[in-house]
Amino acid sequence: MAIGTALSEPPKIYRFAQSKYIDSVRWLPPISALDRLAVIAVFDSDSDSSSIQIHSFTQDPSPNLTPDSQWDSPSRVSSLTASQFKHKSLVAAAAFSGSLHVLLTDAMDPSSFESELSLPEKALHDGPIACVDVMDCGLECVTVGEDGRVNLVSLGESELSYRRIFDSSGLVSFTSAKWASPSEFATGGFGFSLQWWDQRKPGGAVSQFKGDWNQRASGIVHSIDIHPSRKHTCLAGGSLGTVFAWDLRWPQQPLLLSGVGSGEASCSPCESDVWEVQYDPYVKSSNVGNVSSRILPTMICSEDGILAVVEQGEEPIELSAEPCAINSFDIDQQYPSDVIYSLEWESIAILTRP
Amino acid sequence: MPGVESNSGERSLVPYSLELPHPVVHSIHHGLKPPIARLSISWSLGNTLRVSVLRPPSDEDSDDGEVGGKVVEVKLSNDDGENSDATWRRIAYGSVTPFAHLQSRRSTISNLSNMSLSPSPYSIDWWEYVMEYSKDINSLLGSLDSGPDPVIDDPKMVLKRTEEPTSIKAAWELMEIFYADKQSQPWQLERLVDWLADYDSLLSSTHPTVHSKLVDFQNELSSLQVIEDDPKYWDVLSSALAVGWIDIVVKMLRLHGSYQLHQLGNRETENGLVEAVAVLISKKPRMRPGVEDGKLGECFKAKPDFIKAWENWRAQITKLDCSGFWLQCDHHQTREGLKNMIQVMLGNIDSLCVETCHWIELFISHFLYVRPLKVGLESMYGLVQKCLQLKPMLGAHRLIDIILGILGENTEVVLAECSRAFGPWMVAHAIELLTTGSDHAESLLHEERNNLGGISIAELHRLVYAQVLSSHALTWQIAPIYLSSCMKQGMGLLEILLSKLPTEHNETLLKNIEICRLYELDTVSSNIMKIAGVYHWKHGRKGCGVFWLQQARDEVRLTRIAQHLFDSVGKSISDESFKQWEGLIELLGSESKTTGGLDFLHKYRDFKKSLKQVRDGKTTDAAHQAVESLISLMKNPSTPRCFWLPLLHDSLKLLNWQERPLLNVSQTDLLLNKLQELSMAKLRPDFIEADLPSEALSCVRLALASNLGRAILEE
Repeated sequence: MAIGTALSEPPKIYRFAQSKYIDSVRWLPPISALDRLAVIAVFDSDSDSSSIQIHSFTQDPSPNLTPDSQWDSPSRVSSLTASQFKHKSLVAAAAFSGSLHVLLTDAMDPSSFESELSLPEKALHDGPIACVDVMDCGLECVTVGEDGRVNLVSLGESELSYRRIFDSSGLVSFTSAKWASPSEFATGGFGFSLQWWDQRKPGGAVSQFKGDWNQRASGIVHSIDIHPSRKHTCLAGGSLGTVFAWDLRWPQQPLLLSGVGSGEASCSPCESDVWEVQYDPYVKSSNVGNVSSRILPTMICSEDGILAVVEQGEEPIELSAEPCAINSFDIDQQYPSDVIYSLEWESIAILTRP
Repeated sequence: MPGVESNSGERSLVPYSLELPHPVVHSIHHGLKPPIARLSISWSLGNTLRVSVLRPPSDEDSDDGEVGGKVVEVKLSNDDGENSDATWRRIAYGSVTPFAHLQSRRSTISNLSNMSLSPSPYSIDWWEYVMEYSKDINSLLGSLDSGPDPVIDDPKMVLKRTEEPTSIKAAWELMEIFYADKQSQPWQLERLVDWLADYDSLLSSTHPTVHSKLVDFQNELSSLQVIEDDPKYWDVLSSALAVGWIDIVVKMLRLHGSYQLHQLGNRETENGLVEAVAVLISKKPRMRPGVEDGKLGECFKAKPDFIKAWENWRAQITKLDCSGFWLQCDHHQTREGLKNMIQVMLGNIDSLCVETCHWIELFISHFLYVRPLKVGLESMYGLVQKCLQLKPMLGAHRLIDIILGILGENTEVVLAECSRAFGPWMVAHAIELLTTGSDHAESLLHEERNNLGGISIAELHRLVYAQVLSSHALTWQIAPIYLSSCMKQGMGLLEILLSKLPTEHNETLLKNIEICRLYELDTVSSNIMKIAGVYHWKHGRKGCGVFWLQQARDEVRLTRIAQHLFDSVGKSISDESFKQWEGLIELLGSESKTTGGLDFLHKYRDFKKSLKQVRDGKTTDAAHQAVESLISLMKNPSTPRCFWLPLLHDSLKLLNWQERPLLNVSQTDLLLNKLQELSMAKLRPDFIEADLPSEALSCVRLALASNLGRAILEE
């Protein structure tokens, strides 16, 4: 395993034990300049109950993460996402039971939930919802599942409505989804596969891709990210430390950024499952001149406890190496130096880069 | 039937226990109408009991709408009063890294010593590694920090309020003092004094202690006007002095009324005596490298220096004891109290006996004032016996038996008491300390025993702990670290653990496979993938199922699955539903090895694609391509026979191509042969008729014949 390039100054890491399993963690979009809020999907194994909590992060006098409010979820949360919606925060949570919950925070008090809209089990998917992603403006979200369905859920005043845009009847399973534009989104699944969908061309995926660089073993895409300025490129992370970029303009030439099959094993910051990927706005690309064809720096978190930034043609930068898995992370879009991540061993950490 | 009572409504189950003085009664509400015919109890995950309550099989005609039975899960908490489940998990998580680190150091050292014949230079430092480990573990068990010191020191606050210490930390520190900490062995007695100061409060729960005396006095302190008139003041002072809490004693002495400015004049002698005693106490020689800032006592590292200072100090006390100033001290309580304190300092056994509350305090006071030099464990144990006789303890605290075991040099007792008081976590981790203590303990714990199935005591306890970990959904991932450190049976149990984990939950499955990868358990991992594959397949997630079976390289199942797939393909691949199949076919890939005959689908897709282009009125090129796909499909042995006719029927347009024959003579021959074979097969009983018009066969035959004719002419 490669040891990343040393940063001039190591990042500060604050850990907060929760004594409950953290299924997912996200920053809430900033509503006021004062609040630093995070939304957390929690599973309490002692009482076998799940909830979604808003915690506030304060740094004075010492860094502290305190719970503000809580919404009890009927089932364990499988996917969590937060976005801004009309001066409020919108939290969409998908459950293992198949239900979808959309929570809106209070306009006056952003650290508490004001309303909840939901779709019951079995409406959207047969079985768990693998991933939910909300469009930037918050009007529509896409849900995918292992049952092979792709649904679009629209947010109404008092209810959620949905339409099924694809159903493979289980022939293909999807594990992740990400919006690219108001009409396009990408999904990922088994066999390092990616699909590109366009609502204007119904009936199925517009383009699809299957990664087969590793002849010994294939893998699963766990997470996708698409940069708003480069909508043609789909970044994916998955099994065996794999991170790759799929450019729609050259759909048969994926760019492997990290992974066991990449041939240059020294370039991989980890060898196990990459659970989440996210473009990292904090690390400035070292090669600015050649903007359009290079893949922007990407942060990853992995099963073997690595939080790192990978960049095309550069040594990976290891930000943190934990003794247990990092299951999810989120970069604060307002303060990109700050990263919140959840650890397998029932705790949350906040990392601040110098 | 065990545990069933006949009164209706509630059923009581009485758990059987040797240890508990009072059996705990749990009521289970199952809500079934009596009679109950069977009751079966089994362990479920973790501390959960699964109780199945069954009614007698009802007669056919009696339809009372009642269910036949119910399964109730009863969660028994392992409430030890001190640590909650969540705290135990936090400790379990935190101890993984120190434990793994120590094990890897052990294996490094054993590798090194295997290579060189001379005794390893590293073995000398082994206890240092164990100390590092012990400190890491100790820090997990809670902290004794009292938080930041208050800005304004309250003179009447003699006892600092600290976080309630835990017994488990006390036990761990005790073992650290006796087994691991070789560096501070010369000042072991001082460490014991500190230990008692930290943990005496724990013993208060079952027995009066000096600490509880202090707490009581502290509560009364603010209401006292003339402190030195209260006999309790002097009693607490002597007691605290007897167990060596000299900071508290000096602070309390300075509360004496004679220090008050307006009294200084007429109580000069009295004040002088109090101050003299206070100074003597604060100058007590201590055999230790140093004390924390602000703590009292004079420290000596070397034994000769210490003995000299000790004798000097004793001489000063004796001198003060014989001083003539006592006669001039009018305050009776002060005189008697101070005199008593001097007796304590002089090591008067009777005074010590009176001032201490239980045998451990007496034992410690002995070292402070009677025999201040370190002695062997054997004579310590002799002293313990004596103290036990003088100050027997009525209610025994769980720490007491551990202390007795340690001082009695009885490793088995220590282990058993640790297990009884603190459970498997403690034993599994404390063994590292115990084995460092002595060669005897080391061989005792690491010796392989036939009555344990050929494993050592150390391994047995690690296995037990690993079992506990693996029974909880949040800690099973830690278990492999402990299992892999068990030489004999660890890997076997690890394989069982990983094989038995549920595969429904995708994340658990992936984490499981990752552990297999780390420990190179390829067979286990491929079995898990097979199980997952079949599970997903059966639940209608065909793509998922195929993926896992491919990962497992399970050709047998893939071939069988292929048969199922062909059946549904034969029915459902119309041009409209093809989009659905697209992804699965993409997933299957074109490599035949990993797909078990499913590569047929890939070729079939290519054929369909080019055929579609032909139908859309595209070029001859597409037609040629379609013909090539058709021939390769018909040649391929993995193409199922039931597809032959549909394939040919789909290609009628190709066979009857207008401009020129697309198939040459040999190609046509091949297809005709296949057609012949098909007609023969039709006679066999297992033949399945394709869902095609009845004249399909003759249409194809006619087309092939005419194509053959044209092809011959062309050639």
